Amino acid sequence: MERRHWCLNPRANGSDRILIGKEQRKRAKELAKQYGYLPYMIERYVVLWGEQEAIQFLKACERPIKKSIRLNTLRATVEETLSRLKAKGVRLKKVPWLETGYIADFRRISPGSLLEHMRGFYYVQGVPSMTVAEALSPQPDSLVVDMAAAPGGKTTHMAQMMNNSGVVVSIEQDRLRTASLESNIHRCGVTSSIVLRGDSRKLDQLGIAPDYILLDAPCSGEGLIALDPSRKRSKSMADIRFCATKQDALLDVAISSLAPGGTLVYSTCSIAPEENEFVIDDLLKRRPEMKIVPINIEFGIPAYPNPYGVELHESLTLARRFLPHKHDLEGFFICRIEKEESS
Amino acid sequence: MKPEHVDMVQWDMVRNQIDSDFGAGVTKRILGSLTPVSLPRGKGISFYLVPPNWLQILDRDFKPFTPLSLGIWLGDLVEGKFRLSLPVLERVQEFTSNLLIVSRQGAESFTYGRSILKESVNKIDPSLLRGQKVFILNESNECLGLAALSVDAYKINRLAKDRLVAKNLVDIGWYIRRLS
Ligand SMILES: C[S@@+](CC[C@H](N)C(=O)[O-])C[C@H]1O[C@@H](n2cnc3c(N)ncnc32)[C@H](O)[C@@H]1O
Repeated sequence: MERRHWCLNPRANGSDRILIGKEQRKRAKELAKQYGYLPYMIERYVVLWGEQEAIQFLKACERPIKKSIRLNTLRATVEETLSRLKAKGVRLKKVPWLETGYIADFRRISPGSLLEHMRGFYYVQGVPSMTVAEALSPQPDSLVVDMAAAPGGKTTHMAQMMNNSGVVVSIEQDRLRTASLESNIHRCGVTSSIVLRGDSRKLDQLGIAPDYILLDAPCSGEGLIALDPSRKRSKSMADIRFCATKQDALLDVAISSLAPGGTLVYSTCSIAPEENEFVIDDLLKRRPEMKIVPINIEFGIPAYPNPYGVELHESLTLARRFLPHKHDLEGFFICRIEKEESS
Repeated sequence: MKPEHVDMVQWDMVRNQIDSDFGAGVTKRILGSLTPVSLPRGKGISFYLVPPNWLQILDRDFKPFTPLSLGIWLGDLVEGKFRLSLPVLERVQEFTSNLLIVSRQGAESFTYGRSILKESVNKIDPSLLRGQKVFILNESNECLGLAALSVDAYKINRLAKDRLVAKNLVDIGWYIRRLS
């Protein structure tokens, strides 16, 4: 029998460990060298997906991701923006599950340099990011909190979906990033937001009970390797655990603040189950008043109910993942959760 | 720090400046049914317009958070001078005839933060005077920003093509420059 090593500890509390065989570990090391990654990352991919799929993932991360834009209906109709961009030679293809999302080939033009961009007719945004706000789908006139808001892609999207009705409270901790958040809000013609600087882990002290909360959580960015190859070597397992601890804390306060019957979308731009399925599974154990609910749009693949062979809550299959090797997009995790009416 | 109802003395300064720059009653028209509120910012005070039903939400201590902006940003009052915000320009432009239409090249260089030279001027109301604030529009009448005339409009034709006509006060390229 092959010797197996305890290799990783996907949970912060150490209750579960995953096993990797000696051969697998050797192979992971070779792949890590070949593709320029830290070996612990590849070990996880090999255990999570098997070697063949792990290689597909590594290859996909070497390919560029196509540019995409969201047309901002607060500033111009879809038809007007489409016709103006086409007249400037931009090739556009609608993303099937998104109302206003398009893959955009700007050819030699820089997407930020066009007048239409300055006037807020569109927002340059990844397809998975656009999908997040649509997964939450906040209704007009509601009270929404965006707990990690800068640079404002999802705040501006939600305000657009609500046609500037209701209120979007956009919280951001980082001083520099609040400047881009405000700038994007103004550029996109959003008039329904309140921008707050501070630590969202203190949201409960604000004394509001939002109908919707978006937690596009700070994460290790393990889904963005194709956009940022330095991520292959820049983060350790301890960094991932650090993110997971912060994500737990943000989720706890989100749930305490959410109105009974309210809806939360949790998303990350990470493919790490440690920041996604494990975080949500722990949450469901801590907070029985919360349940995962289906997302009413078709995209991606179901999230993993047993990553690394660890059995988690079966409802995790209602959450969705984007994966670079399956969708030619950034890796993302999106989970829609509801709070019991009677809680 | 929290959003406050506007101080009446300060609000009078704001209203007087907007109305004297762009025409009597313009402030009232942009205000519509919205309520002005203010937030201290740096050395000055920022003014915002919000729906009246927001006052309930705003009537709280935002601690431990710092409110940075809300609703429609109207502009900033710094040392007695009021500067209209970029996002509100289009709303004000609807109510005024202080307009300067510029050529394609002029429009492009204006959005890079440059000022308007004689060669870029397509159309201007000849009654506008030196020092007046004018909205800069492109050939499709889209608002690109605000500038201050450096010469009486009726004298523009006498200028050489590389002479300054209007000094850039704010332009929509700022949104992008601010990001980088
Ligand atoms: C993934 S980014 C958000 C992207 C944003 N939702 C968008 O669509 O443009 C996460 C953001 O959370 C901010 N952040 C991290 N910790 C925070 C905290 N405790 N409270 C508020 N914001 C936080 C980071 O500075 C970062 O800007």
